[in-house]
Amino acid sequence: MNYIKKLRLKERIHVLEDFFYEYIFTKRSIYALGISLVFSFYVIQNSTLQFNISTTLKDGAQASEMRTGLGGVAGQLMIGGGTSDGGSFGEFKSNMHSFALAQRMWQQGWGSKIYGNGDLDEEYFNKIPKRQQTSDRLAAYLMGYDLNKYYSAHDLQSYIKSNYAPDKKTRGSQQIIISTLTSDKEHAIEFMNALIIETDNYGKESLIQKSNEIIASTFKQLATSRNSSMSSALSSTINSEYFKIANLDNDMPYHIDIIDPPHSSEYPVSPNITAIIFSNLITFFFLSILFSFFLKNKEDLW
Amino acid sequence: MVNEYFDLITYGGNLYYYIFELANFSVLAFLVLITYKLGFININSFIAWIGIFFSPFLFNYFLFSPFLFGDQFTYAYEVMSLKTTGESYEHVGGDGFFGFANAVTLSAKILGTIPLPTYMTVTSLAFANKFILFITFLWFKRFFNNENEVLLYFLIPSLVLYSATGLRDTLVMVISIIFIINLIRGKLILPILLLYPLLVLKIQMFAVLAFYLLGHLIFQAHRSKNLFTFFLFTIFITGAIYQESILDILNLYRVAFIAENFVAEDGTIGYSAWALYGQENRADILLNSMPEAIFLAILKLPILLLIPMPWNWSNLFYPLQSIESCLLIYLYCKLTLESKIYKDYEFILLTFILVVGLGLYALIMANEGTFVRYRFSLYYPFLLALLYVCRQPKKNIDNINDKKLLN
Repeated sequence: MNYIKKLRLKERIHVLEDFFYEYIFTKRSIYALGISLVFSFYVIQNSTLQFNISTTLKDGAQASEMRTGLGGVAGQLMIGGGTSDGGSFGEFKSNMHSFALAQRMWQQGWGSKIYGNGDLDEEYFNKIPKRQQTSDRLAAYLMGYDLNKYYSAHDLQSYIKSNYAPDKKTRGSQQIIISTLTSDKEHAIEFMNALIIETDNYGKESLIQKSNEIIASTFKQLATSRNSSMSSALSSTINSEYFKIANLDNDMPYHIDIIDPPHSSEYPVSPNITAIIFSNLITFFFLSILFSFFLKNKEDLW
Repeated sequence: MVNEYFDLITYGGNLYYYIFELANFSVLAFLVLITYKLGFININSFIAWIGIFFSPFLFNYFLFSPFLFGDQFTYAYEVMSLKTTGESYEHVGGDGFFGFANAVTLSAKILGTIPLPTYMTVTSLAFANKFILFITFLWFKRFFNNENEVLLYFLIPSLVLYSATGLRDTLVMVISIIFIINLIRGKLILPILLLYPLLVLKIQMFAVLAFYLLGHLIFQAHRSKNLFTFFLFTIFITGAIYQESILDILNLYRVAFIAENFVAEDGTIGYSAWALYGQENRADILLNSMPEAIFLAILKLPILLLIPMPWNWSNLFYPLQSIESCLLIYLYCKLTLESKIYKDYEFILLTFILVVGLGLYALIMANEGTFVRYRFSLYYPFLLALLYVCRQPKKNIDNINDKKLLN
């Protein structure tokens, strides 16, 4: 009983009642709610819709291993096979974020579609003027270095790195997810498709080139080899490399398999209209109460 | 409102971020206003807490990138995932050690239960932390006559900083404070129950506080010189008997923390670099005997207490933290000397446990940034406990202990 007395419940309920009529149930609160709605609609009207574009791929590591893993001794002698620990995923990701790939995409005119008007004329897309931030221009002026006047494959590489990061769905999973947020659905789907295919093609071409180099150097070794077991191993290596080239030199994806092609979410992920309206209602309402309180208790507070 | 697409959009620092987080701030500010009107806090606390609740806006995305404390995102992913799907985030899920709950999941569950209007960004968790801290303040201040003095202890910069991020440090500190104060007050059930969250959230804190519980509950080492000496004697005997197991655990953590921050000559970092290049130095790092461990802990304790050292200052926070480290030590000494409680065995046991805990940290210390945070999480609850011991009439604490003994 003492404890309840100590709480002074009745007295505190009266205080709350007074507080409610003095600060909450006032015209200012209603105005605040009205203003919050106007502000919310203004924010929503000026928001850019962001759709989620995503694709699901399958790490082709195991398949690649089967394709390339032949010949006992040859397998051991083979230098730099298609896969290693970390699988095709690591290779696919580093290829996707490489400058060489950005250059290939740039040559196909993707730079023009992202930074310019989409004109595929090489003369045009190599001369798209780059707008620099004032702070960057000021820093360059003060410190005496030059900024790039035109967009280049380096910018495209940064764009790919910051917007398209392949990630495994879970640790150790075979599934790879690539997703990005964009306001232009069609363009993003087209670009993601092209990026995946070009990354895989680039990876395949690199491997074919590597195999050709291995074949050429192994042939040289074979010509000078006098040891029959060495000759046999070298022949196996050449066979395996030819087999690898045959596997790579086609239109099938190599490092990855496409499970879900790039597609867009039906609804925009951002802006979250309900959250914006709800948050603004709360903010304006409670801040109006605080404001009323500060106005009425200025002297106590200072 | 929960951000179900947190893995796609985190609203980092844009207009939406401020819209969502201002809603959280407004609700907390309203809560302070109500508690003030109801007479639970005074005007100074009202103004100070409005400022403390505003502080999350000053850190993440403003003074520093939230990626400086990148773990915040792990907790945020988990909270959003638990709130929207009821299941753990794929990259986080799973059990902790010995089959206990995962530290991230338990933190997320606790932070997620705080009734905030929006959980849309990483900073929402910071507001949840602030709420928990405010409730702790309301609970803690009722033991004191001077509310303003207590308030000052809640304005310590590191506390304001760590509780303004979405990390679990605030939870660990709050649980530790409740644990220690209740133990000193002779209320034992709650501290025993709190051992479980401590074990999951921070095993080091669990070890230190379980040790304290043992000293307080079983050995009654806070009661007299003889009991304290007996406690010490038992520790030495146990330490000698289980020397190998204790050293194994210490060495495991010692190596793990060094490996985590290992930088190889070729620029590779972390465990993989350690696995390749660090193994040859392993033998030099290992502790071989308890006397060696104690000697090393004594040598490194002042360093732990004073880090970050001036030659390691790499941003604005470091000198501030350095000054704060000195002030916190000064505060501990000042409280002790002012209240003349250095002969009180409650104080001696408390300080002994704190020194043991800090000694353990000194032994495994590697990365400065991490250990500045760890040190504060350990030091702060003990500082508040010391404040409690100093400001309570000695009669009160003795009465509690006498009652306990009679029962």
